[in-house]
Amino acid sequence: MTTLPLGQQTLGQSGTAVRSGAAHVSSARDHDGLATVLELPLIEPDFSDHVVSPPWVQSRNWWILLVVSGAVALVFLSLVGYSVVAGIGVWGSQIPVAWAFPIVSFVWWIGIGHAGTFISAFLILLNQRWRGSINRLAEAMTLFALVNAGIFPLLHLGRQWYAFWLIPYPATTDVWPQFKSTLPWDVAAISTYFTISVLFWYLGLIPDLATARDRSPGLLRRRVYGLFALGWRGTARQWRHHRAAYIMLAGLATPLVISVHSTVSLDFAIAQLPGWHSTIFPPYFVVGAIYSGLAMVIVLTLPVRRWLRLEQVITDRHLDGLAKLMLVTGLMLLYSYAIEQFIAWYSADQFERYQYLTARLSGPYAPVFWAMTIGNLLSPQLFWSARMRRSKPALIIVSLIVLVSMWAERFVIIVASLNRGFLPSSWKLFIPTWVDWGILGGSFGLFLFLFLLFLRFVPTVAMSEVRRLAYDMETEGDAAGSSARARTATGASHALPAPAGPDAYGPARGEA
Amino acid sequence: MTASGIGSSHAPATGHESSATGARWATALARRGGSDFWRGLDELLETPEFRATLRREFPEDATLPDDAWSRRSFVKLLGASVALAGLGACINVPSEDMLPFVDQPPEVTPGVSRYYATSMVVGGYATGLLAESHAGRPTKLEGNPLHPASLGAAGVYEQASVLQLYDPDRLLSVRKDGKRARWAQLERQLLSSIAGRTDRGAGLVMLLEPTSSPSIAAQLARLRTLLPAVRVYFHDPLAPTGALEGARRAFGTPLVARYDFSTADVLVFLDADLLSTGPFHLRHARQVADRRRVLQPSDGMSRLYVAEAEPSPTGTIADERLRARARDVPRLLAALLGELDSAGSASGLTERERTWVAAAARDLRNSAGRSVVAVGERQPWMSHVLAHAINERLGNVGQTVDYARSAILEAGTSSHEIGELHASLQSQPADTILVFGGNPVYTSPADVALQADISAVRDSAYLGPYLNETASACHWAAPQAHYLESWGDSCAYDGTLSLTQPLVQPLWGGRTTSQLLATILGDSPDGRALLRDQWRTALASDAEWERALQIGVVENSATAPTSVTMARDALAAALAMVHELDARNGMEIVFRQDASVRDGSFSNNAWLQELPDPLSKLTWGNGAIISPATGARLKVETGDVLRLAYRDRTLDLPAVVLPGHADGSVSVHLGYGRTGAERVARGVGGNVYNLWTTAAQYTDDGLSLTAVAGAHVKLAITQDHWAMEGRPAALGATLDEYRADPDFARPRGRELSLYQPYAYDSGDQWAMVVDLSTCIGCSACVVACQAENNIPVVGKDAVLRHREMHWLRVDRYFGGDVADPTVAMQPMLCQHCEKAPCEYVCPVNATVHSPDGLNEMVYNRCVGTRFCSNNCPYKVRRFNWFNYNAELDETERLAKNPDVTVRDRGVMEKCTFCVQRIRRAQQQAMVDGRGVEPGEVVTACQQSCPTNAISFGSLTNPDDTLVRRLAARRRYAALEELGTQPRVTYLARITNPASSDAGPKA
Repeated sequence: MTTLPLGQQTLGQSGTAVRSGAAHVSSARDHDGLATVLELPLIEPDFSDHVVSPPWVQSRNWWILLVVSGAVALVFLSLVGYSVVAGIGVWGSQIPVAWAFPIVSFVWWIGIGHAGTFISAFLILLNQRWRGSINRLAEAMTLFALVNAGIFPLLHLGRQWYAFWLIPYPATTDVWPQFKSTLPWDVAAISTYFTISVLFWYLGLIPDLATARDRSPGLLRRRVYGLFALGWRGTARQWRHHRAAYIMLAGLATPLVISVHSTVSLDFAIAQLPGWHSTIFPPYFVVGAIYSGLAMVIVLTLPVRRWLRLEQVITDRHLDGLAKLMLVTGLMLLYSYAIEQFIAWYSADQFERYQYLTARLSGPYAPVFWAMTIGNLLSPQLFWSARMRRSKPALIIVSLIVLVSMWAERFVIIVASLNRGFLPSSWKLFIPTWVDWGILGGSFGLFLFLFLLFLRFVPTVAMSEVRRLAYDMETEGDAAGSSARARTATGASHALPAPAGPDAYGPARGEA
Repeated sequence: MTASGIGSSHAPATGHESSATGARWATALARRGGSDFWRGLDELLETPEFRATLRREFPEDATLPDDAWSRRSFVKLLGASVALAGLGACINVPSEDMLPFVDQPPEVTPGVSRYYATSMVVGGYATGLLAESHAGRPTKLEGNPLHPASLGAAGVYEQASVLQLYDPDRLLSVRKDGKRARWAQLERQLLSSIAGRTDRGAGLVMLLEPTSSPSIAAQLARLRTLLPAVRVYFHDPLAPTGALEGARRAFGTPLVARYDFSTADVLVFLDADLLSTGPFHLRHARQVADRRRVLQPSDGMSRLYVAEAEPSPTGTIADERLRARARDVPRLLAALLGELDSAGSASGLTERERTWVAAAARDLRNSAGRSVVAVGERQPWMSHVLAHAINERLGNVGQTVDYARSAILEAGTSSHEIGELHASLQSQPADTILVFGGNPVYTSPADVALQADISAVRDSAYLGPYLNETASACHWAAPQAHYLESWGDSCAYDGTLSLTQPLVQPLWGGRTTSQLLATILGDSPDGRALLRDQWRTALASDAEWERALQIGVVENSATAPTSVTMARDALAAALAMVHELDARNGMEIVFRQDASVRDGSFSNNAWLQELPDPLSKLTWGNGAIISPATGARLKVETGDVLRLAYRDRTLDLPAVVLPGHADGSVSVHLGYGRTGAERVARGVGGNVYNLWTTAAQYTDDGLSLTAVAGAHVKLAITQDHWAMEGRPAALGATLDEYRADPDFARPRGRELSLYQPYAYDSGDQWAMVVDLSTCIGCSACVVACQAENNIPVVGKDAVLRHREMHWLRVDRYFGGDVADPTVAMQPMLCQHCEKAPCEYVCPVNATVHSPDGLNEMVYNRCVGTRFCSNNCPYKVRRFNWFNYNAELDETERLAKNPDVTVRDRGVMEKCTFCVQRIRRAQQQAMVDGRGVEPGEVVTACQQSCPTNAISFGSLTNPDDTLVRRLAARRRYAALEELGTQPRVTYLARITNPASSDAGPKA
């Protein structure tokens, strides 16, 4: 399946195109299960208002969460400042374990940051249109995870103020970064990924920002939204450019999903340390990243869906899809783990064998290893059951277990490997300090704080995409003569295509 | 603009314009006076355009905006600033005395260090040193090759002593009852208490450290003629009382045994750590090592038998090591003697002991005259009598051992017993007590209440280095000069006269013991004059005197050996005592010298506090060292607190479980648990002197050992893991195995690499070879490296976090049976890999390769990713987690080597192969128009190594030692199969066990 049919259908410049799109949708129906992706009767005419300013974000609960997460974020920022001012000796890192919590957290957060782009870009290219309901949330999560992930590699430097030396620029000293090292590539990969993620997110947001502009009550809000909406009017020409740019960025972002964590994994794989020196690392890291990112999406989506009353838009079908993806990536992770252990044994290399078969299984960090193995490999197996895939407690618990286990996985890879290097004289135990824990915990505060602000000020659901989806479903209903027609008669579905007036966000119909 | 305006003004004036225009010019000109100037025709005509321009430029009644700078105010401020800046310079006249270059001492070239011979006294005996001076500031001590006790090496105390010179906790002024006072006041006080004396000195008690100084001996002799009843005592808690008593019983006089291991094929050491502690240990180590450098399989080596309780550096290179309690030593000697006599008196020995004794006896007999039996100095007298008897029987006397009068003043007499002093003060009270050096209040046994004794005396004065326990017990405390501030003389263990000359004026006005004695005797306290006067007869000519000062020793001044005959009844008495001892039972306690702080004299030295113990790798503290079996019986592990109860006294100490320690024995180290005002020393470890008694100064049984439930102390141990896990790190084999498979240390696989070889230039290529056969783990190299390379001390908490900064560490591995293991020592430093894993992972090119084969660290470029350390298989890189130099005291900064950068926070550092020494040699060679000579570059670790285990040089132009070692078949690189191609290579450890066919022939 190529991107072309979707593009045509999106442009929707003529009735023919719409029809062809509709035909395509119906053909895709079998594996998309599109009919259950939105619960059409429940989408009220004021759907846009609901998304633009849901009641919950003005509630006391929102404020409480904001203040608490803000306080935690402040702790995070103060500890970051403390580490910079006092020196990174305030952490538990040492020789041989010179990388510890900050790098573990970096890899973990950047893994979290994979799901958003994966859901948006990957799935759009694969024409998985159900993503429209959750992609905005997932992308926002990606950005905030990347903000955290970006802080850690800078922070972990001994002299943070010289971090710019990792960037290739023509310095007066004539010294360039060392391109054999992966770290300058890391900088490039992460900054590129962050830039593309921001652009992709923002580009998708423009039509919705225009909706927000048009529906906001106060002048100031309208002005601010208007500024960010970049003068979007919803003309066919704008839509055409928008979709083209969006698809192009999706095309750019997709390889980045693969490359970023591959590059990050090379930070370890190019070293010759047993436990790091492994050719399976790039795919293994990417799979793990998407796995943990999906878990984070579930953890965030479930409460958001409930509090923001988005059940009609983010349906159980979405959760089911996410759970299936988790199961698949979990199985790929299982394969990676198995291969890692097998190759260590098969290599007959004494250092590799010791690291994988002795140190990890029974060394000082064995409890972390077993937590990681059981959590990551066993818990998603629940999702073989369709009932579990739709059970909210099961989803939340499994996702939390996976999140913790994925952190443990990075801890095992980084700390447990460093702890048992080549010379037994340097096998020394790493014990984190309170600053380590504080920075780790505090990063969640910052993440949540930013996410709450996002819920408050940015449309949390890609309205234009959902509308188009609803339209597709309706036309599909027309074609199939299904019960959707009956709904049209009730008038409830008028809200979705919203063809009339200045509200030009139903992309195809307004122009048709 | 103006020019063109003027130019154009001529044109209309020449009549090309209409007459009306001409009239306008005329009118305009008429309006102006003759002296008026106009800048342009527009101004002359006052056109509206001009007026508009004018208004724009200079608005009428205009003021400047509030925040704008007018040109005028700018210029005003500029002027004021310049004026004020000048004023500022007038105020801040530097108040320091500047040293003009013209008056510079002729021998000093800034940036070029100079070396002066001097000597340091430890335990009364001198070790000759060369002190490196940077513009009059000593920074580094190295061994004096001409001195018999050094042979060019320097031990840990000597290396670290320079830090004590700059110790901010030193006694900075004379103090009386805690208040600052002056030397003049103390002098008056001393003179009045001496001169006005009518009791012939009966009320005067003096307590000194044991001394071999001829000057002090002469001064004391003079004092005794003036005051015949004066009481003079000497105290050193580690005095070799057993050895002197043994000699007295065997030979009638307290002689000392002097060993010459250079011809010994078979060495049997019983409880004798002769290679790393005690006088002459540097010489002993060199001599023993010289007989054990098996380079090619055909080479022979000596055989070393060691029986000891606590594993020692000497024991680590033993071919046959026997775990034996200190109390078992006389019994083993008796068995050995019996075995040699074929009397077979080996009853009551365990199987292992019997085998060991039989093997030792066989080898001793076969190597009679080329063997030696040596016993630890502090072993009880019967051990020494038995050892003397065995050596005599084997004909070793005069060959490998001889006897001579001790260089220590009054050695072996009761004046060396602190208990005698105590008893004497009880029976005959004194009015004045003078304490010269040491810290006797702290180092006296628990049953000698020296503090109370001193308090009971009317006048007390202490000449000492620190405001320590003794200083606070005395009324007067006066700063003792550091030896680098002193003129003095002393003797080496063999009696060789050694001179001490100062490198600096006393920093805090300190004086030496000799100077203070001179004051008492009414002489001028001029140290140099005193010394010259002392040597006026022996070194009559100035040339002799100057040569002695220049080389630090008086050549051929060693004491002549005394010929001895063994008193027969002594042996019988000793054997009787052995049987008596055999009957005793129970846990024994052994009070030992600490490898780092000795008896406490060095406990305020942070370098030494942070120096890992050679075997237990413990820093910043001490513990009760027990065997794994004892630990298992008590159910304690390292760090669990043990309660030691001995003769109604108890002490809680953390257990240190050490493989290879004898069962039924507890070793405790002196020198910790200090309560003086020294900031580094105070509160570190437990004070073992609280259990120490005059009756049992070395060892005694009757110790009760119990675990204190739930109590645990975090011990700062730098190496947790004992075993090598079968990894190719410190390799070794027996001599037989080496002969059977000379390439046993070579890697089995092929080295593969993706990286191109580095393009080296054709010049020198630096490399190091470390011989593990002769490394005893004494750690002199570690301190030498610390002193040379400005390595910071990080403190106990940081060591607990594994952040010690030593560029060079000594890895210690135990192998085999945990109860009775073999020990391997491996100095581990940056291996300067040709394909360095650290280099390709550094993102900023901060660690790079040099054309002469160094792996270089560019501190300024380092951003601190620490990736290099993660990828270093040897884990020799050290990171500045904090700015460890920020809190250094003003004086401590003076100890820094100006040739080496002091690293800031956040950068990685590691061994540089002493690049400053390499570059200095290269510069000198360039000045002389030649290449660097073989052996010209000596690294700090190599220089200090007592056994010459380290050799360094250029692969393209190596010296003989390096050539031979590079060719050794047992040479290998650590973790060679990783393909790092290190420039540091090792010679695998070769042992010569008793079962070896090779035999003990060097």
